[in-house]
Amino acid sequence: MKIDLVVNGEHRTVHCEQRTLLADLLREQLGLTGTHIGCDTSQCGCCTVHVDGQAVKSCTMLAAQADGCDIVTIEGLAKGGPLHPVQQAFSACHGLQCGFCTPGMIMASVDLLKRHPSPSADQIREGLAGNLCRCTGYVNIVAAVQTAAAQIAGGSPAAGSGDRP
Amino acid sequence: MYPFTYERAAGLAQAVASLKADPQAKVLAGGMTLLPSMKHRLAAPSSLIDIARLPELHGIRLDGQGLVVGAASRHGEIATDATVLASLPALAAVAGMIGDPQVRARGTLGGAVANNDPAADYPAAVLACRADIATDRRGIAADDFFQGMFTTALEPDEIITAIRFDRPRQAAYAKFAHAASGYAMTGVFVARFDDTVRVAVTGAGPCVFRWAAAEAALAKDFSCAAVRDLTLPADGLNADQHAPAEYRAHLAQLMTVRAVAQITGQAA
Amino acid sequence: MSAVVDSRTGALVPSRQEDLRLVTGHGKYTADWNLPGQLHAFIVRSDRAHARLVKVDTEQASAAAGVVAVLTAWDVAEAGFHEIPSGPPLVGTDGKPQVKHPLPVLATDRVRFVGQPIAMVIADSALAAQDAAELVAIDYDELPAVASLDAALAPGAPQLHEGRQGNVSLVFEAGDNAAVQAAFAKAARTTTLRMHSQRLIGAPMELRACLATYDTAREHFTIYTPTQGIIGMRSSLSAVTGFDASRIEVVAQDVGGSFGLRGGPYPEHALVMLAARKLGRPVKWVGSRSEVFLSDWHGRALTIEASVALSDDNTILAFRFEDQADLGAYNCYFQSMIGTKNITVTMSGVYKVPALYARSTLVFTNTVPVSAYRGAGRPDIAYAIERLMDQAAAEHGLDPVALRRRNFIPPSAFPYTTANGTVYDCGEFAAVMDKALKQADYAGFPARRAASEARGRLRGIGFGCYLEASGAGTAPKDMVTARFAGDGLLHLYGVTGPSGQGHETSFAKIVSDGLGISPQLIRYHASEPTTELVGNGTGGSRSLYGAGSAFKVMVGNLIARARPHAARALAHPEGTLEYRNGAFHAGAHHISLFDLAASLRGPTPHPLDTEGESSSGTTFPNGCHVAEVEIDPTTGITEVIAYNAVDDLGFVVSPQLVQGQVHGGVLQGAGQVFGEHAIYDPDTAQLLTGSFMDYVMPRVGMVPNIRTDYHLVPTKLNALGAKGVGESGCSGSLPALVNAMSDALRRAGVPPMDMPFTPAIVWKALRERR
Repeated sequence: MKIDLVVNGEHRTVHCEQRTLLADLLREQLGLTGTHIGCDTSQCGCCTVHVDGQAVKSCTMLAAQADGCDIVTIEGLAKGGPLHPVQQAFSACHGLQCGFCTPGMIMASVDLLKRHPSPSADQIREGLAGNLCRCTGYVNIVAAVQTAAAQIAGGSPAAGSGDRP
Repeated sequence: MYPFTYERAAGLAQAVASLKADPQAKVLAGGMTLLPSMKHRLAAPSSLIDIARLPELHGIRLDGQGLVVGAASRHGEIATDATVLASLPALAAVAGMIGDPQVRARGTLGGAVANNDPAADYPAAVLACRADIATDRRGIAADDFFQGMFTTALEPDEIITAIRFDRPRQAAYAKFAHAASGYAMTGVFVARFDDTVRVAVTGAGPCVFRWAAAEAALAKDFSCAAVRDLTLPADGLNADQHAPAEYRAHLAQLMTVRAVAQITGQAA
Repeated sequence: MSAVVDSRTGALVPSRQEDLRLVTGHGKYTADWNLPGQLHAFIVRSDRAHARLVKVDTEQASAAAGVVAVLTAWDVAEAGFHEIPSGPPLVGTDGKPQVKHPLPVLATDRVRFVGQPIAMVIADSALAAQDAAELVAIDYDELPAVASLDAALAPGAPQLHEGRQGNVSLVFEAGDNAAVQAAFAKAARTTTLRMHSQRLIGAPMELRACLATYDTAREHFTIYTPTQGIIGMRSSLSAVTGFDASRIEVVAQDVGGSFGLRGGPYPEHALVMLAARKLGRPVKWVGSRSEVFLSDWHGRALTIEASVALSDDNTILAFRFEDQADLGAYNCYFQSMIGTKNITVTMSGVYKVPALYARSTLVFTNTVPVSAYRGAGRPDIAYAIERLMDQAAAEHGLDPVALRRRNFIPPSAFPYTTANGTVYDCGEFAAVMDKALKQADYAGFPARRAASEARGRLRGIGFGCYLEASGAGTAPKDMVTARFAGDGLLHLYGVTGPSGQGHETSFAKIVSDGLGISPQLIRYHASEPTTELVGNGTGGSRSLYGAGSAFKVMVGNLIARARPHAARALAHPEGTLEYRNGAFHAGAHHISLFDLAASLRGPTPHPLDTEGESSSGTTFPNGCHVAEVEIDPTTGITEVIAYNAVDDLGFVVSPQLVQGQVHGGVLQGAGQVFGEHAIYDPDTAQLLTGSFMDYVMPRVGMVPNIRTDYHLVPTKLNALGAKGVGESGCSGSLPALVNAMSDALRRAGVPPMDMPFTPAIVWKALRERR
């Protein structure tokens, strides 16, 4: 079947099977492998993307359901420009180790901060309840979201040059 | 998944007709339950009829003493809707406790209620608020709707269009979530009407049920103390590797007390 | 630790070189690779725990749409493949070497666990392969199954393997039983505690996958797969397939977690290689989560009965351990070490124990084979010892702090040889404990407990003084190289297998610090597929000090190699040159290392290309973790109110990365303490916790705050002085959290319990005592 959708700001027309999942469409047909698949019970959140502005598990959506939708994947967050404050904060706070859960964690965090620009620790935990991480122990992830919130509120400067302070 | 055909329903009547024509067809709204079971090849519909965007199934409005919520309303929408928050905030609370934010962006009221998972949250709200489940062809009273594990009064080709919640004077939902799945290990919705109190328990048994003894006790004395001495019998409650039946029975009582405490402002 | 911030601009600074590609979705994990013409594989697995395979009929599947081939054990035999390697045999108490029963690549006449691979369908799409797999018709002749160690040992239990009487794979012992018995005979007091370290699912977030391609002309395989080290993987794949290791290239650019589970090959690796060669096209397999629950090796599954004999003045006279390890259905690599050597190497803990003895029984069950998972037995022995100490204190009315302090190996005793021959090089156990207890405000606990109890809650504090042995390594040495590629960067090469540890950053930092150049000008390449380097893969927490020491040596070598060139460039004698801040200085003149390298550009290899090598063995990371918990008796829910860790890691290169390892290890331990448990049905040996719906994974908030600090006693056992940190978090958190739970529950009259402390289990235990 034919599907029309916007992915990372670009209009795309694709052909796929009815049973093609949105995650597979993104990964296999559009080459956007930043969205990961980590489970088959819709619980790990590694596949989180934005559909019409909301964080969604792309493994639990048919590509067909995304017809006419506006999709943003991790690759579309910075798109060649400066990193999003959430991306910067995850790195600065060491909120990632193996990086596999990270794209989904970042997309969920961006969505969380849209809904709660100044989230409490509890709101962050609630906001990331749909995302699993096996490496970091989560403490630095919460710190990353808090840091990103502060950066966004304070008007974040461009991504650091990396010089050690 | 097994192969299937996919169609966007053009209208409610057409969706029903498609279901009638093919008994193996299923409607798709949020897909949060159906798609995972299809991915595991436990469900194999021949055809999916996507009703998520049908305008007839959307909309949240007041109707006299009732709050009418379109069946295709997403959990996240219900959790933050101004009308719901103003008129039946406990329902917003239920919706806000389902799954996680990503699930709430997609899952729908109608889908969850039609599926009647024994550990789903909405059935407790629907039952406690003596709701009317409007379908394409009739209205079904909540007390008649939930019939057993994953079983409802719906006919195979019947589609829920909206649920009209009778608005209690006060209500609250207390949930003890399963640490792995996030479903209700036990969830209790307490609805206090002018003429009665209804206590609906989900997650503890094979299907949502009303706890008559708690209703009677709270009708006499709407307080935590009234419920604290009650014990829900464990027979017939769910037992699995996560929790024995007696634990669920205990949680049901505890969640009832907590829901009452939320309403009265007392300490639980 | 707060975010790293650029002091001039206030902008956030990336903490690792790896991060840019990972936060933008440009990491490349195995499933992200696609090769032209690739085929897709789906594995048909046993759905019975124990059965004779009467017939495997692949005819219908072979004819299905899109299917190119269906492989069975017949194809594996035809290719001359061997079973999955199971490591060298240990010697049992009968003096005989362990007879191994390794996992076949595909089941031949019998299946012994649910999930065991039986056939592989290869098709032009993953869905077509999965569709066709359902058409493989299997006739099973079911046999009774044993789902637990106790069932496997029971008289009359079904036998899994010929010749393994009572399903016992090995009985092993270490230490001196006679000395221990004598000690117990004269002890003033003793304590015994039986503890179960339950079976776990490792669940790294990246699903296991492999993609193999065969170059017919060069007779050369390339296999993409997550791994902990390409050298070891290459040689094990060689052992399975019979192809020479020089003909196998392993590619692992980004690996999504490993924790011990990806140290060696699985049947799927051999199968995609077989298929790629047979079919002349690349073949890709990606597991699903439910599938890897049934096919990744499981973890832990040990029962340890620990006993301590105390003298009249509470000096430890002996430790005795009796442990049983559930191996699962087959022997596999490293598995047998877990319940034997890995436990006994550090069975003295941090204490002076004159007599030690352990007896281990390794048992087969009809379950997924068990192998190394973060710590691989070392967290389990640390857990057993530290719980035993607390239990002894409780039983005999002793102060748990004083009991430990009296028995610590004092700093003056190092190097200290334990009663069973392990040589600990250094440590300051009392100082570590004191620092941790102070950090945790241990002294102030009684008041906090009173406040909790006033609110109807139970509160407990517990700590664990763990010591563990990091990996000795199996390679003769760790080699690294540095190359100037003419692009203005210094390229470093090693053979570690990072899966999140940040090797690109920490090794760059070692070299950056040593050479005085910016880490931005350094690139570490772990696991170049065509590498000729010798070295250890990642495992046993040794990469930082192992390869890191080699890099430190390399730095010295590079400066020495560059010196004569710098002398010529500066027209000064070598002896007058000083190297500092990234340049050679001679009076007022200097030349930077990079400028020197650029001036020498031309010949290959570049004149400044340098190697470094180092041999580093086991080190002894240790620490004291303190946990404080509050239990709500009405629900059984436990909140971890505080978690404090003080670790002796010898030397810290990258504080943020080290802290990250501690955090991660602590959460994995917490997961085991509060909910993780791979549960099998006792009758059918079906895995009941087959997905994240039923297997309780730690989620954000399980341990909300972890305070880390260090008390570093550098080791002389390697050039860096570092002791390894990767697995320490588990070794500290298991005893700290369980001792805290036990402290709280003991006061309520609950006898010692096993993990996991789920709300239902805690509630029930409290109710039964009340």
